[in-house]
This record gives sequence, C-alpha cells and structure tokens, in this order.
Amino acid sequence: MKLAYFPGCKIDFHLKAYDFSFKSVMEKLSVQLVELPFNCCGYPARDNDFETSLFSSVRNFAIAGKHGLDIITPCKCCYGQLQYVSWQWKSVDKHHPGLKQKFNNLLAKENLFWNGNINIRHLLSFLYHDIGINDLKKRIKQTLPEKKVVAQYGCHALRPFTVTGFDNPHAPHIFEDLINITGLRSVEWTKSTECCGNPILKNNKKLSLKILDSKLDAAIDAGADYICTACTHCQMQYNDMSFEKRMEQHTLVSTPFTRILDRVL
Amino acid sequence: MFTISLYIASALSLAGILFQIFKLQKTGSAGLKLHTVKSNLAPAFFNTLFQTKLFKASRVRWCIHFLVFSGFIFLLFFHALDELVSNRIFSYYQPTVDPYQFLRNFAGFLVGTGCLGFLIKKFHIRKNNPRLKSGYNNLFSIFLTLLVILSGFMLETSKIISEPVFMEMVEDYAGIDEDSGLDELKIYWEKHYNVVFDQLSYTMENAVEEGEIINEDYCLDCHSKISSAFVSHLLSRSLKKSGSLLNQYRADRIFYHVHYLLCFLMLISLPFSRFFHILLIPFASMNQKADIEDHQKLKVEFNPVTLGACTDCRFCSDVCSVYPNYAVTNNIRVLPHHKIEAFKNIITGKHLHKDEMIRLKNANEACTQCNNCTDICPSNIDLQSLWVKLSDLLCKPASGKTDLPSDFQLTREHDISYSRTSFKNCAQCTICTNVCPVVLYSSKDENDMTPQQVMNLLRLGRKQMAAATLMVNNCLTCYSCQENCPSEIRVTDIITELREASAKAGQS
Repeated sequence: MKLAYFPGCKIDFHLKAYDFSFKSVMEKLSVQLVELPFNCCGYPARDNDFETSLFSSVRNFAIAGKHGLDIITPCKCCYGQLQYVSWQWKSVDKHHPGLKQKFNNLLAKENLFWNGNINIRHLLSFLYHDIGINDLKKRIKQTLPEKKVVAQYGCHALRPFTVTGFDNPHAPHIFEDLINITGLRSVEWTKSTECCGNPILKNNKKLSLKILDSKLDAAIDAGADYICTACTHCQMQYNDMSFEKRMEQHTLVSTPFTRILDRVL
Repeated sequence: MFTISLYIASALSLAGILFQIFKLQKTGSAGLKLHTVKSNLAPAFFNTLFQTKLFKASRVRWCIHFLVFSGFIFLLFFHALDELVSNRIFSYYQPTVDPYQFLRNFAGFLVGTGCLGFLIKKFHIRKNNPRLKSGYNNLFSIFLTLLVILSGFMLETSKIISEPVFMEMVEDYAGIDEDSGLDELKIYWEKHYNVVFDQLSYTMENAVEEGEIINEDYCLDCHSKISSAFVSHLLSRSLKKSGSLLNQYRADRIFYHVHYLLCFLMLISLPFSRFFHILLIPFASMNQKADIEDHQKLKVEFNPVTLGACTDCRFCSDVCSVYPNYAVTNNIRVLPHHKIEAFKNIITGKHLHKDEMIRLKNANEACTQCNNCTDICPSNIDLQSLWVKLSDLLCKPASGKTDLPSDFQLTREHDISYSRTSFKNCAQCTICTNVCPVVLYSSKDENDMTPQQVMNLLRLGRKQMAAATLMVNNCLTCYSCQENCPSEIRVTDIITELREASAKAGQS
C-alpha cells in the first residue's frame, strides 16, 4: 500500500521520536510512505484568516491528488483540519461563492488542480480499519507486560463526528482496542475524550497548563503507568517541562502509541 | 604605490567587517561558545569547503556555486597571493610556465562560467517561480566577480600581444640585438606566442628555425607554449588586428591598473555585499542551534551576527510551511527571506511604517515552527530561533480582551453567524457550558462568559460584544459544546469565526 505521509509542522522539530516510530511501524506493516512537499494543514491559521486555513488544506489535497495518493497523518489536529476542509468543500459554492474559482486560480499558478476528491486517514483509524485490528493482532510478535494505560483521544479527530467520522464521539473505543492487543491493559479514566489544553498554550498558558494538570490528576487516580497519545500536539503538551517532576514522582510516562506498537511488531 | 593601496584596501575592508558585525550584534551576543564550536567543527569545515548543505538543497545551484568557489579559491591563493603561497610551495614557480599558466586560465574559466550560470539561474528562477521572485540584490557581486575575471584575462592577453613588454623582457633576460638574432626571435614569437609587432620583415630564410634555437636558449625556461593559456590564447588571436593600436597605448598597463583596482574594490566591498557570506558561513556553521529543549525552556538565543551569512538564496521561502498564507493574503512578510530583511532593518535602526510592523507581526505569528527553513539553510543560520527572537521584539500576543476598533463590523455574508438560523434554536439549556473545559478550569478573572452566554449575546444582536469576550479568546476549539448541543448549533465553529473576525479587525 502506498500513502502520502502528511507529518504536520511540529513533528519534525518538536517530536522526532513520534516521527521515527511512525515510519518504523509503517515499514513493518509494509506501507510505503511518500513524502511530498506539503505545507501547513491550515489549522493554526483558522484563528486569523479563514480563507488561508481553507486554502492551506486545499493546496495539500491538490499536491496529494497530483500523485494520486491518499493522505495519512499522525497528528489529530491536522487530521481534524483536513477532514473539516474536505467536508466544507462539499458546500463551498453555497456558503462561499467565488472561493472555488479564486483557489483554482491560485493553484493554477503552481500547475496544481484539485478535483474535490481526497481520502484522509489518521494513524489510528488506518490501523483499525484499513490494516484491520485482527490482522494487526496476528502480526504482533511479542506482548508487553500488563501495565495500565490510559488513552488520550484528542479532540479534533473525535469531534465534530459529522465531519470527522472517526469513532463514537461520546464513547470511543478504537484506541483502547489497539492498546489492548499489545498486551498492555487500557483502563477507564474520566478524561479520555477531553482536551489536553495545547491549543491555547500560546494565548493563555496558565489555563492551558491547568487543564493539563487536571488530566494528570485523573490519570494518577486511575492508577495508570502510561498515558498514550496518538497526536503530535497532545504529546507535546504532555512533554511540557513544568510537569516533569510530578510525572516522575508517580512513575507516569506519556508516550506516542507508535512507540509501543513499534516494540511489539 | 601598489603596496600602499593594498594596505589601504585591507584596512578599509577590516574596518567595514568590524562595523558590520558591530551593527548586527546590537540585539544579542555575538560570541561563540567553545563547546558548540568543538561539536560543530567537522560539519562546519565541510560546509565551508564543500557547501554540503547547498548540495542537499539543490544540485544545480551547488554545481554553479562550486565552479565559482573552486576557481576563486585557486586564484586567490595561487595567483593573487602567489608570493606567499606558490613561491614557497613550488620550487620552480613561474606564472608563465605550465601547469600554472594553464591552471590559472582554467580557474578563471570556471569562475566566469559559474558567474554566467548564476545570472542565467537568477533570471530563470525569476521567470518560473512566483514564490522566489526577487530583486537584483546579488547582481553587484556577480558582476564585480565577472569583471575581475574579465580584466584578468584582458591583462594577460594585452601582455601576450605587447611588443613593448617583449622588448623589455629581451633587454632584461636575453640582451640580444638585431645582429645576434633579435629579428629571428621576433618572428618566432609572433608565430608561436601571438606577439603583435609593428614592423617585421618576413624575408629572412630559416628565420623560424633560428628563432627557435634562440628561444630555447633564452626564453623557454620561463615560457611554456601559449596555447595552454587557452582563454587568453583565443583572445590574443582575435585581437591581432587591433594589436598594434593596443600596444601603442600600452593596454597592458591600463588593464594592470583596472585589474588591481577591481580586486581592491572587491576587498573593500566584502563586508557590504553578498561577499560577506564567505566570512560568516564558517562562523554561522560553528554557532549553536537551539534544540527542542531550549524551545521548551523558552531560552532561545539567536546570534544576530550569523544573519550576515544570508546570501538571499531563498531556499527558506521555497520550503516554508505557511506559504499559503502569502498566496491568500499577499502579505509578503510571511516568506522567511522577507522577514530576514525586515529583521535586519529593525536591528539596524531603520524606521518601519506602522502598517508594515503590523503586517510583519501577523506574518511572524503565522510561523508554525516546523524548522524547515533552518534545515535547508545552506548558510547554516538558525532561522527558527530568529523568528522566536523576532516575535519577542514585536511584542507578545495579547492574552485577554482583544481591543477592537470602534468601527468594527461583523457583517460578512458568508459567516455562519451572519444568518440568525444558525443560533436562533438555542434553548439556553446550558449543556455546552457544562461540558466546556474552559469554564471548568478557569478562575473568575481568567474567563468571563460561557458558550451559552455567547450564543445568547448573538441572539440579542450583540455580535461585537460576543466577539470581545474572554470566552471567545480562551476557546480550546475542542468541539465538546458543538458535539453535545441538542439543537445542533455549531457553537465551536461560531466561536472560532468570531475569534477570526476580531483578529482580522485587529490586523487591518
């Protein structure tokens, strides 16, 4: 299988471990990742300029479309944004008359064109649906000791469901299922679907860290050994230096899911 | 005379270098840390000598650059500084003996071709890549290099064809006259060394053979065949007809002065043109790059002197992640190389217009810190840290209420919140408020309203008030409210839209 790898801006500099393990997992599953000259997904521009955020995604789609590839991304914010734009595009003529023409002109300057068709996959939905959880289970070579793991779902993949269609937004299960096949045991916690706080880290750091603090509280209450993420931004938030000591005290470790999967495949 | 002008030019160049470094280092330390120098020494060495990063960025540009670089380095050490280098290394060094004569021509040829390559590439890029459309900043240094090479070739050519130079040489080294075979030697040299003589009779028999014998006796030790100086050889052939005129005005002396003058000009302009990168790329390559830990600790230090290494190659803009911001908003400052220019202007105290500063701030905030620019930069400048520094200079993003201009209007027809149907179904059931993490975790002074109250303000037609609430500013866009709303109101989308509208109003 061949897919266009959409890494997202942050992963290369801020979270190399996720990048490496993601690529390693995909190699073991014999998925060929093609690196294309993608730009930012457009999610950060949503607060400043709506058109920019739309065009950023559309340009990425055009680049992927030029190579006839579907997109896979390890980041849930990127996934949410890309899904949002591809959903928005269906009714773009109705809500934003003239925008399609404008974007086509901008794309034409770079010899690009997007016909409106794109398939976007997130790491988890790809593993669960496209590889298939049963197939994945068969490929696992060793199982890990049974430690308690809490799953951090990430907002932008989960909600709004009508746009992303990722999993049941109120009671999601695919992440837990994927964790369980590695031998680790996923445990229930109260904050699995709640935001990590990263989106307002720049604008309101205090509140952002307060939200993260509450998540750590919940993870400790659940007796977890690992907080497992599948999103660059969530993982970056858990890596925040100010909670390093606290997590060490409770022997709590946060890790991207691919690092776990990479060890058992 | 020559020595004095060389010293003056060197002194001016040195003063210029110090001046430029002083100008750049105003906003930060210019120092190098010993441990970073140690760890970066090997890559810095290779990047300086072989331009490894440029090789990774573009093979074509590397080839062109290496033509100029290799030729120029050879000419600098073995031709310009021959008294210091060539004379000491090689025991029988003479500029007119092979292989030195050939190599000098070859190196000059490489530099000349490379410079032409630069020009062709420049206009080719201007034409084909709208993103990299550039001014003519580099032209000065390219043309100056070309002129230096050209004047060098012209100097050699005019010396080859010069009768007066020939006569001086005969006087100094051979001491022969018409009786002892000067005419034969002249005939031989006209035929084999392209000298142009004013009056020469071809009547003598066996003149060439006799000339050859005299040539072997007196000249051959220091003069290889002229065809090895292939560029000058061709030039002197083509100038044969106008040769006597050039000799009459002593063109060799004129070109001698022109060549040296241009070289001194190059030396003086070193710190004030693109040539500066020659000195600063090794410096920038040895400098520390901020890593992820520095970014987390917010201890990013940028060394502004490394900016002098920028060659305006624009690879950074070619790989910039937020290029679409420029495509849609036409804010040219989004592109890294334009931000570098603006930053240079700011630290050197140039006044920027207020609108320009706002555009620069907007553009710099669009940066997603993807590190693509630092990765590709052939000059090894830590650009990502520069953007952090720039945002410090331009003031931090405002937390809290956005100051909206009084004539702020929120009447864009394509907005979700423009039509009342998108929020009129709100029953004020407070479910959105109950699931909102911002409401849950913020203290009283951190947040003022709840999502439900924002919707209510919209229902009351107080859109401007709604957009200015802390709730809108604090929203995580986690979509909990929207997902749980029983009336299927797009709460998060509306809040994001209000935020975007007020940000836009603040931008203009």
